[in-house]
Amino acid sequence: MAAQTTTGRKDVDLAECALLQGEEWEVLESIYPDCVSGDPSSGLVKLEIPIEFSGPKAVYVLDDRIEPPYTTADSERIGTGPSFVPESPSLSLATLPPLLLDVMLPATYPYSPPVIQSLHATQSWLPVCTQLRRILLERWQDGEGVLYNWIELIRSGEFLEELDMCSEVNGKEAVRISHPAPHMLIPLLKACDQSAQLTRFSQASYECQICLTSIKGARCILLSCQHVFCRACLEDFWRLCITEGDVGHVGCPDPQCVKAGREANEEEVRRVVTEEEVRRWKWLREKRELEKDPSIIHCPMSFCQRPVPKPVNVDDGSGWERLRECLDCGYSFCAYCKRTWHGPLSDCPISMTESFVLEYLAQPEGSSEREVLERRFGRNNIRRLVAKYEEEQANKQWLEDSTMSCPSCHVYVEKSLGCNHMTCAKCKTHFCYRCGEKLQASNPYVHFSTPGQRCYSKLFDFQSIDDEWQPVEGFELL
Amino acid sequence: MDARLRRVNKEIADCKNDKSSNIDIDLVDNSPFHLIGSFDGPEGTPYEGGHFEVDIVIPDSYPFQPVKMKFITKIYHPNVSSASGAICLDILKDAWSPVLTLKSTLISLQSLLCSPEPRDPQDAEVAKHYMTSKSSFEETARYWTEIYAGGPGKAGKGKASGPRDEIAMAGLDSAHVQQFQSLGFEKSKVIDVLRRMNYRGANVANINDDRVVEEMLKP
Repeated sequence: MAAQTTTGRKDVDLAECALLQGEEWEVLESIYPDCVSGDPSSGLVKLEIPIEFSGPKAVYVLDDRIEPPYTTADSERIGTGPSFVPESPSLSLATLPPLLLDVMLPATYPYSPPVIQSLHATQSWLPVCTQLRRILLERWQDGEGVLYNWIELIRSGEFLEELDMCSEVNGKEAVRISHPAPHMLIPLLKACDQSAQLTRFSQASYECQICLTSIKGARCILLSCQHVFCRACLEDFWRLCITEGDVGHVGCPDPQCVKAGREANEEEVRRVVTEEEVRRWKWLREKRELEKDPSIIHCPMSFCQRPVPKPVNVDDGSGWERLRECLDCGYSFCAYCKRTWHGPLSDCPISMTESFVLEYLAQPEGSSEREVLERRFGRNNIRRLVAKYEEEQANKQWLEDSTMSCPSCHVYVEKSLGCNHMTCAKCKTHFCYRCGEKLQASNPYVHFSTPGQRCYSKLFDFQSIDDEWQPVEGFELL
Repeated sequence: MDARLRRVNKEIADCKNDKSSNIDIDLVDNSPFHLIGSFDGPEGTPYEGGHFEVDIVIPDSYPFQPVKMKFITKIYHPNVSSASGAICLDILKDAWSPVLTLKSTLISLQSLLCSPEPRDPQDAEVAKHYMTSKSSFEETARYWTEIYAGGPGKAGKGKASGPRDEIAMAGLDSAHVQQFQSLGFEKSKVIDVLRRMNYRGANVANINDDRVVEEMLKP
């Protein structure tokens, strides 16, 4: 056989070789099921080995038509030398496209070297492979299987060092690829790296910290802060936040990210919730931005409600500062009475409907005065207006009784539990829930701890909670 | 089974299996949504030796909204209301995250006992006491631990025996109380006023006797 003549050994036991080859192949198939194919008994095998760095690495793609090919001596100064000022910024890649090897295993392998029939890099990112071929063959030792060694050398990217393709840039290891057409290669490398990472992510399992279940990556979402959660949990969480208008919490649920106030970006939100919820989320964000400005008034048209900013370049006190023009529906109105714009000079018209509704209500039911008013304005119309008025009053009453408004932005707040020191969720003003007074942000509790103040020692309302305490036996006796 | 129930059950089981954290969670009325958590007062604090119980209510939207917790065991701490047990800890409010669990929240409460934040108090009076005289505050906190949380007494005999000392409960000096009592005021009134005025330690020098009397004469 040819192989025997090359090694010059005639005493090789072919059966033993077949056994060793079979064993080596079995091991490879179990460790790298995705990298190996073919049948060693036919003497031909195929290796497809992706390059996977332990973490993202800087990769520079240089145009080899401009840059002279580096010699080993040059590579020493590449990190700092003026010749290594890449036009394009480095890529950050965790993987490089796989190398394809067609290997012929002689019957006498591993007592004779394997033969590399072809060595080719996917996307041709490694144009010259002759040096690598030599490096691989040098690794073979008489009587020992070399394929595992090859796969590891390539997969880890170690071979790049031996090919002098590594250099240090800014203290970090970087890979340098010379290629005739960098602008063609760069997008290919990026795409390959991305799809490799995606595959790896979707195949791995992650413990979702919300449902406390281990879930396949394909059903998880990797957020830009690198935290992973299952899609179902994020969907429930964000949907609730969006429904409740709590736009500030639509973000990574990790406690550190929550404390840092890291909100999700549009792409992340889009991946998790429905189109309609995305729209509401965007609207809420816009609204929040606009509401930081108290001069903004929502369009009084019930179908519109667009926030309308103050006109620019108007003098305070000229009357024009009351004008608002809705950009959506075109309605021009007065910021004070929210009625159709009545010019800068005339006062807001008194609410006519309210005055006659009051007049109507002041009369006893079934009286002739009421009948007159009903005839003048129409019975149904009056009833509708009265119902509306009563509802408004009830609403006002409720707001007055059960809520407190923020002294800065006037948003109404209803307290469910906790102390009376409130921080407005919208404008961050500190205020007292009991009396509505604005509190110093630096020391809000002084309001509750200064004797003589009306809210002195009223940080908590005790009446309702007191009952929940078990009486302390004998405490009163003392 | 809904996700909330599944998660709560998992959390309870996890707490039961974890002996090292010394956090216990027990069911109230067999409902997994109303629980009692308990832990020991941390060593090296006035709460050492005490056992503290916390009332836990799991809201419908848990874990997306925070659990409701308050101390059942009375505790003398600047960040816990001495009257109601209400706790205003950031993670129970804005800084809540669905990643936090019952156990991690209870551990946070436990570590709150190690490091009071008097500048962000829940009980302004207790916080003032803490700022005025830390040693006097610690003495009172220890006394409360002894009375309410089964902590060791000064003699180290375990549960406190005999009548409770109201003056010590309020963290006051009995000489001060006697001084005003001798003017003809009732003991409970004196304690109430002196406590509110933070008549303790170096602060005593800042408070004129007239002001105290004036305060006591108020209806």
